Amino acid sequence: MQTDTRRRSLLKAGGLGLLLINVDGAERWLSPRVARAETHPYRVLDATAVVALEAFGETLLAGAAEAGLAHYIDYHLSVPAPDSLLLLRYLDAPPPYAPFYQAGLAALDNHAQALDGMRFSELTAERRTEIVSAISAENPAGWQGPPAPLFYFAVRADAVDVVYGTVEGFEKLGVPYMPHILPPSKW
Amino acid sequence: MRRPEKVDVAIVGAGAAGSVFAAQLAEAGRSTVVIEAGRPWQLSDLVSSQIWARRLKWLAAVAEQAGSHRVSLAAGMGSGFGGAALHHYGTWPRFSVDTFALASLYGRGLDWPIGYDDLRPYYDRIQAELGICGDTEAETWRPPADPYPLPPMPQFAQARVLKRGFDALGMPTAQLPLIINSRPYRGRPACLYDGWCDAGCPTGALANPLVNYFERARTAGAELRSGCTATRILSDARGRASAVEYVCGGERLEQHADVIVVAASFVETPRLLLNSASGRYPQGLANGSGLVGAYFLTEASAFAYGLFDEPTEPHMGVNAGQLIYRGAIDAPKTDPQAFGGYQWQIAPAVKPNDIFGIAVARAELFGAPLHSFVAEAVGHYASLLSFGSGAPVRANRIELDGTKDAHGMPLARVVHEFPPEALGLWRHLLEEGRRIVQAAEAREVWTSQRPMTGHIVGGTVMGSDPAQSVTNSYGRCHEVPNLILAGAGLFPSSGGTSPTFTIHAVSVRAVEHLLDHWSDYAG
Repeated sequence: MQTDTRRRSLLKAGGLGLLLINVDGAERWLSPRVARAETHPYRVLDATAVVALEAFGETLLAGAAEAGLAHYIDYHLSVPAPDSLLLLRYLDAPPPYAPFYQAGLAALDNHAQALDGMRFSELTAERRTEIVSAISAENPAGWQGPPAPLFYFAVRADAVDVVYGTVEGFEKLGVPYMPHILPPSKW
Repeated sequence: MRRPEKVDVAIVGAGAAGSVFAAQLAEAGRSTVVIEAGRPWQLSDLVSSQIWARRLKWLAAVAEQAGSHRVSLAAGMGSGFGGAALHHYGTWPRFSVDTFALASLYGRGLDWPIGYDDLRPYYDRIQAELGICGDTEAETWRPPADPYPLPPMPQFAQARVLKRGFDALGMPTAQLPLIINSRPYRGRPACLYDGWCDAGCPTGALANPLVNYFERARTAGAELRSGCTATRILSDARGRASAVEYVCGGERLEQHADVIVVAASFVETPRLLLNSASGRYPQGLANGSGLVGAYFLTEASAFAYGLFDEPTEPHMGVNAGQLIYRGAIDAPKTDPQAFGGYQWQIAPAVKPNDIFGIAVARAELFGAPLHSFVAEAVGHYASLLSFGSGAPVRANRIELDGTKDAHGMPLARVVHEFPPEALGLWRHLLEEGRRIVQAAEAREVWTSQRPMTGHIVGGTVMGSDPAQSVTNSYGRCHEVPNLILAGAGLFPSSGGTSPTFTIHAVSVRAVEHLLDHWSDYAG
């Protein structure tokens, strides 16, 4: 073999990150959680979409917003499709992926407006849960966006990724990570 | 148009089949170029993360899916050096004897132009070379074969728990045969059983093309070009394949070769041939039969799940599973409502996230119930998955769509609908899976809800009759004698199991035939 593949050497080789962010003129890899905490600007999603996404993500899985769900999705909408790590690519949605999320979030807000006269993020937690439960099963009347159950599945998977799919997430669940090549930054 | 120096063989696609061809051709002294659209992965790219693993997968060049049942393509396909074999799970049973003769035995689908006995020598040689771990004695369903060169892997809690269910129902199990080292073998280390197979195995314990055939190909002088997308196979005045037209770094090039091998997957191979239409081949290259793209076949897969009181350690082991039940794989297929054999793969190692992760097993849960489920399931969850073999349907196919990619090449259109007997088998599997988990004494049992895409084969099927197939048993196109197709697209039926071992066996047989009859192929 050309490469030293002993586990110890591979652990040293981990050098990638999740979000390549320009910080003070130099690019460095950040976890989504840190990118959010440091309020790095979004690349693709506008402020309205981010607010809706964080509210949706928190409804899907508490902790998703703080874990940087919006930065994670936004960054991976900004990179070329082969570099995107979003689970959406497994769902055979043709790239680019940004319209899928933008249209889905707009549909979510519009649906909330139609039902309750306010945006999704402005609803009570209980009401958000009712709406998410409904869209997880089928397109509600008047829904204008990607298929609602598919949108639910994709963003839920993203929330699960940032909350559970990291070294930190494994630790919180008590699951040994046991890497061959460790992802960086405990993202 | 730049034309690099002509070579003996140009291979399109750097997956399992392409790697086998590249290694053996280069070692035989044939100048060989591999043209791959994806990236030049190295072992150090195989980061242990279900999220990072997505880089290794194919980006579907599919504009539309038609038919009643969508096919899940991207998660099971690969892009770049190693293709799907770089992240495959290493499940390596042989196809059963009757897989090769469904039409003759049951009046369904197609016969292969070869039988198990034709492939057995290649299966045996490959397993000796690469090392398969398994339990020769326990696999009563295994066709005649050399013993496995490696002993079974250890069993972990999840497998022990689920085995109770099979034992209670009188269904014999054996260790899943895997192309994974249970102990060091020929320079590759033993597995660590930490369940990162889907992210690619950087230690090489799970054999992948980077640690076997591509390593050999490079050593022997084959040139591997990455980031190069083949757009057409050109043909000359004699009707022979003359060059691969491809785009690399924005430049369009022609790689001329005496022999061209297309091993670009069950979607990309028909797409490329159909896009290679010419005055001589108006329906597409090698498509005089009209069957390029036809007989695209997916298995209808079913999952069964349980939560148990006792710890199951579902993160331990390998992604393929630990045990296998294949007792019904070659039983007489007499039920017209549920046609096909099947296997259960038992106790796959799983992570909390990703498409086959714990959280997706209960996709209807969100919020606090999702967290409660995952928190419990990471210690007490068990699962098994089944693959039903089946006969192909001509109407299921790959076509060209009107939409084009960045290189001006039409995207693919997939037409797919499970035939009624495949759905019947799937329903049987759901019911049987539920009974197994209940018999294993789970306190909660559930199953998948829809027929999920299993292994995919077909689209450029081999056969004896040029009017009913695209190639002969060596993948040699009936119409174009120096054009060889390779990979699972050749298979006229599915084996109800991973096709990768059989892809290797068919490919070794084909490349040896090519080398033994070089002047006949090369003209």
